[in-house]
Amino acid sequence: MSDNVLLTTTVGSFGKPEYLTKARGQAARRKLGATELEELERKATAEWIRRQEDIGLDVLVDGEMYRGDMVAYFAERLEGFKIGGLVRSYGNRYYHKPVIAGRVSRPKPMTVSWFEYAQSLTSKPVKGMLTGPYTLLDWSYNEAYPTRRDAVLALAEIVRDEARDLERAGAKYIQIDEPAIHARPEEIEIAIEAMGIVTAGLSAKTISHICYGDFAAIYPQVLDLPVDQLDLAMANYGYRWLDLFDRNPFTKELAIGIVDVHAHETETVEVAAAGIRRGLRYVSAEKLWPHPDCGLKTRTVEECVEKCVAVVEATKLVRKELAKVPA
Amino acid sequence: MKLTTTVIGAYPKIGDGLEAQELRRALHRHDRGEIGDADLGKVYDEVTRAAIGEIEAAGVDVTNDGQIRWDDLLSPFARAWSGVQPGPLERFYDNNTYFRQPVIDGRIETDGRSLVRDFSFAQGIAKTKLKAAIPGPLTFATLAARDEQYRSLDERVLAIADAARKEIAGLKAAGATMIDIEDPAVVASPKHIDLAREAYGHFADPDLALTLVTYFFPPDAVLESLASFPVAAIAIDVRSRDTTAFDRLDAFRTQQVLLGVVDARNTRLETADEVARYAERALKLVPQERLVLATTTSLEYLPRDVARKKLGVLVEGARLVSGEKVVA
Repeated sequence: MSDNVLLTTTVGSFGKPEYLTKARGQAARRKLGATELEELERKATAEWIRRQEDIGLDVLVDGEMYRGDMVAYFAERLEGFKIGGLVRSYGNRYYHKPVIAGRVSRPKPMTVSWFEYAQSLTSKPVKGMLTGPYTLLDWSYNEAYPTRRDAVLALAEIVRDEARDLERAGAKYIQIDEPAIHARPEEIEIAIEAMGIVTAGLSAKTISHICYGDFAAIYPQVLDLPVDQLDLAMANYGYRWLDLFDRNPFTKELAIGIVDVHAHETETVEVAAAGIRRGLRYVSAEKLWPHPDCGLKTRTVEECVEKCVAVVEATKLVRKELAKVPA
Repeated sequence: MKLTTTVIGAYPKIGDGLEAQELRRALHRHDRGEIGDADLGKVYDEVTRAAIGEIEAAGVDVTNDGQIRWDDLLSPFARAWSGVQPGPLERFYDNNTYFRQPVIDGRIETDGRSLVRDFSFAQGIAKTKLKAAIPGPLTFATLAARDEQYRSLDERVLAIADAARKEIAGLKAAGATMIDIEDPAVVASPKHIDLAREAYGHFADPDLALTLVTYFFPPDAVLESLASFPVAAIAIDVRSRDTTAFDRLDAFRTQQVLLGVVDARNTRLETADEVARYAERALKLVPQERLVLATTTSLEYLPRDVARKKLGVLVEGARLVSGEKVVA
């Protein structure tokens, strides 16, 4: 059994080091310039690439040190969007919810230089990270397009162009996250149509992360989402989505969340390994990718490292078990 | 005759300017142990005062307390009731807004005073009619992450309804005459409509104006059934999705209809004419004395400045209908 089974990865974001959080605050108050901030973002990115290598993750991410929110980041760089006022997501957490105020267009690539920088720091593959068109619409206010479908399809063309630029820059894995895909199950066909526009003609492996919502409401239709791999939060749900695969077999690669990202405590290696074993009942080791449930940006750097170590150690344990089983 | 207006649910807790973010700062300071519960409580009170003030300044006829202390719809009871704990985070229906799923780990008990302090405080501030609000039993029950106590959804819903009865009695004793029961699950999970109706029978009170508040989803699958709920009013959202409700509002023969006409989930600002046109459509089947214009849901899904503008449009639209009938 080689190390090419149960490839480990993460969903995209990591906790920002304190110096960067502070710098972002200063930049927001215009007490720090864009160049100085970017230098710190690059420093933090390099640190996270090194940490991921040290931990032993197989497919890396840039850690999104340069992003606050996965929709606002793109909205700030696209024409047609304006940045809205603060709205609450939970507790004392607020974000600037974007507003689609006009026809959207992409003046220039938005993530390519960060991908290139992160990839230049490691010989391991780094994923290109995008937010999908359905989520970009659903997490924005739409003042411009007559229907939600019109807006989603316009955004799909933008995400497609970004994905193609990432592929040209060498990305072997492109993740197009759609955490909002189950917001309105009656619109799943719009999300599928839009993803078809994004991934048409790409040769990179395509992945879509889905989390926190009623996955059962879109299964098995979501198997028609034109990506190679679905990346699902599972630990937070006690792995109950796996039961759905009994009736309708899962047909894609599965990146399986085996540690909860909303808890400060880290699961033991044994608990995390049990999650992988549950996934193996439905998906072969070649197609199963252990990872944390979701992006880790709400955790401290130390907690992120602990969670990732649990993923990697649990995977080693299960790989050993698999190696003992005669083929 | 004047067309009445009201708000639904929570009001934005902070605004965009630094001066409007006192609660956010206070919560951070509280988390760091720099201020205690009493100081945080004072800030909550001040923000409640400001929220009621903004709602009243817009000219809304019936206000609430803005639910400033609520983290989410279920949190006041998930925190206060014995036998319930706030559990894992989940998105609230089709919103990118989270709530804590209740975990039921014992028999649900309450003294019925979970919201009395907040209501009494708001009474001291509100100059207009003030209504209270509680989460509905079907919503509370269907959004629970786990239930180690009750053997079925039916048992759980009815146990929650019994606890709600105590809360309603507590609010009544404190002087409440109008209470919203926010229960979007009634339209989100229409298959449970009969169970929900049975639950409402547990706390029906002819001396109170209870409103069954639905939102996010159209009432189409259950509209006629809603008319048989033992409540004084039904709130429906006619903006979030397409609905046939406008052609069927005559199903409500005695109840008030709170029509959610101002979209509290999109920043696009309606015009007063647009609001008036929705009202005119409803008035074909509901007499003016039983029609109330409202926001579709909590204004907290919007930035505060937009929420304020939406209230202005709501009131202006209602006045257009009540007064000059200028609508084409």
